[in-house]
Amino acid sequence: MTDMRILGIETSCDETAAAVVMNGTRVLSSVVSTQIDLHARFGGVVPEVASRAHVEMLTPVISQAMLEAGMVDGGKVDAVAATVGPGLIGSLLVGVSAAKALALVWDVPFVAVNHLEAHLYAAFLEEPDLELPLVVLLVSGGHTMLVCMEGHGRYRLLGQTVDDAAGEAFDKVARFLDLGYPGGPAIDRLAMEGDPRAVDFPRPMKNDGYNFSFSGLKTSVVNYVRKNPDVAAADVAASFQDAVCDVLITKARRAAKEVGAKGLCLGGGVAANSQLREQLLDACVADGLQAFLPARAMCTDNAAMIAAAGWYRLASDGPSPLDTGANPSLSLSVLGS
Amino acid sequence: MLVLGIESATTQVGCAIGGHEGVLASAHSSRAKRHAEILTPQIDFVRRQARIELREIGVVAVDLGPGLFTGLRVGIASAMAIAHALTVPMIGVASLDLLAFPVRFTSKLIVAAIDARRGELFHAFYRPVPGGVQRVSDYEVSSPDDLASEILARSEDCLVVGDGVLRYHEVFDGLRKVELADFGFAYPNAASLVQLAHAQALREQWVKPWEITPLYLRKPDIDINWATRDTK
Ligand SMILES: [Zn+2]
Repeated sequence: MTDMRILGIETSCDETAAAVVMNGTRVLSSVVSTQIDLHARFGGVVPEVASRAHVEMLTPVISQAMLEAGMVDGGKVDAVAATVGPGLIGSLLVGVSAAKALALVWDVPFVAVNHLEAHLYAAFLEEPDLELPLVVLLVSGGHTMLVCMEGHGRYRLLGQTVDDAAGEAFDKVARFLDLGYPGGPAIDRLAMEGDPRAVDFPRPMKNDGYNFSFSGLKTSVVNYVRKNPDVAAADVAASFQDAVCDVLITKARRAAKEVGAKGLCLGGGVAANSQLREQLLDACVADGLQAFLPARAMCTDNAAMIAAAGWYRLASDGPSPLDTGANPSLSLSVLGS
Repeated sequence: MLVLGIESATTQVGCAIGGHEGVLASAHSSRAKRHAEILTPQIDFVRRQARIELREIGVVAVDLGPGLFTGLRVGIASAMAIAHALTVPMIGVASLDLLAFPVRFTSKLIVAAIDARRGELFHAFYRPVPGGVQRVSDYEVSSPDDLASEILARSEDCLVVGDGVLRYHEVFDGLRKVELADFGFAYPNAASLVQLAHAQALREQWVKPWEITPLYLRKPDIDINWATRDTK
């Protein structure tokens, strides 16, 4: 088989990203332009601001990714993959439109990629021979889900959040504590100076199935701080983070055991959280599981994972039609049944 | 020099290819909210109808807006990507200029108005000049009533054109000295875009793909989307 270089494009939320990946595993370049500063003063992602920034940044980001992959003169990509959902509709359409236009001009296949599926593939970029089945804990600002990956393109959604995503809870608690934006890293930092046992916050749905619920936990934090205004913010941050990690890890371990998984894998922006990473490692050691923690840059939104997922998708399903649009509420099962 | 023109600022999406021989092929579709699905195959179709290869395109022209933001960006992102892939320059033309151009054979003052939703219109005033039109106002956004008052204040014969005028025709119907252009002129036309851009291309009045800036005329709404925030 000849080498296949795929250009991946990701614009589902607030990162404008492009990457060139060879054969689904070798990252030739990965460029991410984050809009965090643009959204920081609003304390969350503003869709119209995000879409405008994607239009502005996408061409330079693609140029940079091509340049870094050594494809300036005559170097051609063999396919173009883009996130078609889930995400913000206006943002998704920028990347999908550009990707299809490039595929048309270069006369190469276009591949529609499910953003969630791409997060699952982030792990394979670093470890192509991961043993399956694998339980993936996907935690970000938009999603909190437990997925059992049985094979390439074959996975089962075990459970997901019924209200707020874990990352969303981090953002909201950080905003309430005046820690700035984004909330994940801010709480992570402050929690290091606090006592995780200072406040006994509830562990919502901890021993109950594989679904998650974080909106009540956020409310408990708000109520506690209002009743105890003198409490140290670091203790609140540490206790809140401990409650989130406890629920996530407990469920992931139970899932791994019940499906007979060979290993546990983390994905999504919240996977950059130090306590979550540490506890997942400890849990895997205790349970005799292979632990897989992709580099932080591969956990957060990037286009290398889009190109990697696109490579597997292209091999299994062939190209996507050029009349493909974006689907803001695309679920994992639509593409991967 | 061959020009590919892409317009997507209204509920219509279209493209055309042309050059010194005039417009070789064009297509338009106004099935709302399907811009991204329609545009790429449409470009391929028009390319075949024009009997050219995309690599023969020397400049990519695009409608800069103002218009409906999401659709507008589909056209601009596609146009930028094509120009980038072909390593050719770009020419941006405002949607309102595209509306005014086809009705240039009038002696009246031309008012181009695009539906901006939320009870407002994007609009500009033009005077017919030999070979085209000349804009005589800023690009603005206001309510149909405010535009009607502005038209009355000018107290001269006017031809109003665009989907904004059709939507709020009851505001403009019966205004003294005001004529409404017919439905066939309601949307920006990709063929006009190619014509206008070709003239500019001959004078090398073009920009790099990353220098293209959409004309929004409105600040973004600040409503945070918690549900889809996906990176911490
Ligand atoms: Zn993500």
